[in-house]
Amino acid sequence: MRIVIATVQSLFVRGGAEIHAHGLRDALRAEGHAVEIMAIPFKWYPPERIVDQMLACRLFDLTESDGVQVDLVIGLKFPAYFVSHPNKVLWILHQHRPAYDLWNQPLGDLHHHPNGLQIRDTVRQADRQLMPEAKAIFANSMNVARRLKCYCNIESAPLYHPPQDAARFYCADADDYFFFPSRLSPNKRQHLVLEALAQTSGVRVCFASSANYSAYARDLLTTVHDLGLDDRALFLGDISEEEKRAWFAHARAVLYPPIDEDYGYVTLESMLSAKPVITCTDSGGPLEFVRDKETGLVAEPSSDALAAAMSELWGNPAAAEAMGKAGREYYDSLDISWPSAVARLLA
Amino acid sequence: MKLNWFSPLPPARTDIGHYTARILPALSREADVTLWTDQAEWDAELERYATVRQYQPDRLPWPELNRADVSFYNIGNNAEFHLAIWQVSSLQPGIVVLHDFCLQEFFAYVYRWLKGDRDGYINQMGSLYGEMGRIDADLWWNDQLSMAHLIERYPLTPLALADALGVVVHTEHALTFVKRKGYPVAFAPLPFAATTQVDRGSQAQHEPPYRLIVFGYIHRNRRLESLLDALAGMPEKRLFRLDIYGQLSDEERVRAQIAALGLADAVSIHGFVPEPELDAALGSADLAVNLRFPSMGEASGSQLRIWNHALPSLVTRVGAYASLPEETVAFVRPEHEVADIQTHLRAFLRDPIGYARIGERGRRRLEQQHAPDVYVRAVIDFAAHAQCLRLGMLADDMVERVADQLGSWVSPAPPSEMFRRLAEGIALLTST
Repeated sequence: MRIVIATVQSLFVRGGAEIHAHGLRDALRAEGHAVEIMAIPFKWYPPERIVDQMLACRLFDLTESDGVQVDLVIGLKFPAYFVSHPNKVLWILHQHRPAYDLWNQPLGDLHHHPNGLQIRDTVRQADRQLMPEAKAIFANSMNVARRLKCYCNIESAPLYHPPQDAARFYCADADDYFFFPSRLSPNKRQHLVLEALAQTSGVRVCFASSANYSAYARDLLTTVHDLGLDDRALFLGDISEEEKRAWFAHARAVLYPPIDEDYGYVTLESMLSAKPVITCTDSGGPLEFVRDKETGLVAEPSSDALAAAMSELWGNPAAAEAMGKAGREYYDSLDISWPSAVARLLA
Repeated sequence: MKLNWFSPLPPARTDIGHYTARILPALSREADVTLWTDQAEWDAELERYATVRQYQPDRLPWPELNRADVSFYNIGNNAEFHLAIWQVSSLQPGIVVLHDFCLQEFFAYVYRWLKGDRDGYINQMGSLYGEMGRIDADLWWNDQLSMAHLIERYPLTPLALADALGVVVHTEHALTFVKRKGYPVAFAPLPFAATTQVDRGSQAQHEPPYRLIVFGYIHRNRRLESLLDALAGMPEKRLFRLDIYGQLSDEERVRAQIAALGLADAVSIHGFVPEPELDAALGSADLAVNLRFPSMGEASGSQLRIWNHALPSLVTRVGAYASLPEETVAFVRPEHEVADIQTHLRAFLRDPIGYARIGERGRRRLEQQHAPDVYVRAVIDFAAHAQCLRLGMLADDMVERVADQLGSWVSPAPPSEMFRRLAEGIALLTST
């Protein structure tokens, strides 16, 4: 088949969405299909630009190209998934969350604008009207499927996929640190981890990745200094994929307490590395994989509770190791693979 | 449903504030209401029914405003009370409650004294009313034409509706106009909760001197000048006393006229008084004079208040007043004011009970057509369509912007197939 993957991109940024699209493309090609990614640059500000791009995506004609028919379109992200095609499947990474669960929430932006209500209603209306055009609708996780049902009354099937280079993650002897690999961003809550770290004794945390928000990164460094954590909080900055896997492999546990994450590669990467995950009760996607006290710990989203969980695992390396192994076994039982995902998409 | 309600609030000296206070109990039963005001103070009683929030038009708390499902903007002709509201309405589309049809004075103030934008004003007048509008606008700007002349001919209503999701109107005249302009519109007679029962027919104890009353914000269009001339010209003037309550736009001029006409013993100027005192004055009056010329196209809250006391009234046969039933008011022709006023006063002397019956019929009309619950239901039903209205407005915006884009690089006109696909795309995104 000739397949187009319709998605969007933030120019000069590579993140989970790009990994997902490229992984899907490669998996489809591995099965003999001709695949192209149509990545539309998406600018969500000022808010009226959102509607322009919704219309632009709607006006694309992907039925054929250069005389050759396109057999299938797989839509991944808003508003690219509005593109019209008679044979379309959606695999929703997430909807435009500022119009949904982030509306009037601190992490949202749309409600700060006078035309925010209008744009919000338009996004919701378009999703409700146009998503059902698809032959099948999948969601990146149960969390994304839940939101789709809650806000749009649209049923979708959760469909997991493996993180990048899943086969190359490994487990090694644990060193004395917890690992927290994630963009430095308020919604990932590195600040919460620092506040919790200050309430522990001896625990060390290594943070990897660059900042989405430089102001947030500056605040984190200030917090480290103010809380006297200079020797226990290490910021690694950008690291290579190989380095990341090594840091996973030697971690005692992985910290990953985002707010309402859609899916969360970090959780899967931890499980592939046979490391337990410490997450929070409101972290969304990770909760679909972390089983409290079996494959990790699930704490209330407060510094006290997180500190207690961190101290518990730090003080019991044997338990941490056992949970990590259990996590790997659980991952293996889920059959999270590209062939499985492709089979369901093309069924 | 959550509503933002932008309105002047008591004790602001405008009946629109009282209107909000009148409907608030019923409105708060149907919706979660936040009252928004730029006033420094407001009647604490309002907070029994709604949250009151202060705002400044240049620092609007959008996250808080966006918690509501829709905003209502109460727009009237007095910039003192409605300028900030209009400024917000031009930033975020909402439902405009049009209290005055004629907004010439309001926008003349905005363009001339607020913005100093002569060209803008003249261009708007020209755009809406053609070359004559442009010429008259220029003459007025150069103080060669009166505002009264502009008010009669150029209401400038569309300027208040440009960003409206929909419009609530209180008069048939406004309804016809707004419908013709293609705006979503809801019509509901101005609300007033009928209170005290009065049987004026049996109040034969009212004897001369009979009490006439004028009240409210008394600008020149209230025709007080004509009323004073009419009284002064009647030998029977000794049988009447005139009480003036409220704010006179030119008290000095009025007092000079009273003195010049020798009416000092017959006329009392009370100024603004507490509401209970005004109600007591209305309760003991015999005839209200509620003239308007030129009319701002408003539905008169004052008239409803007069009917609440079953008080007979003289009104000018113009604007919304012209459509009031003959049996509920006594009409005065704008071109025969003094003569008609004198005719009515003499007729009153001959048959005060007959005039009392007019007041009673007015009271019945008030009870039947102006109940706040009925008004609020109409408003809430309209608000429920806000989302549809918002999407419709967005579709219009998109069409304009696309047309702009196409116009800049497509010549000759784009093929109809392109328009069809664009229209389909816009409709799919915005239809409900």
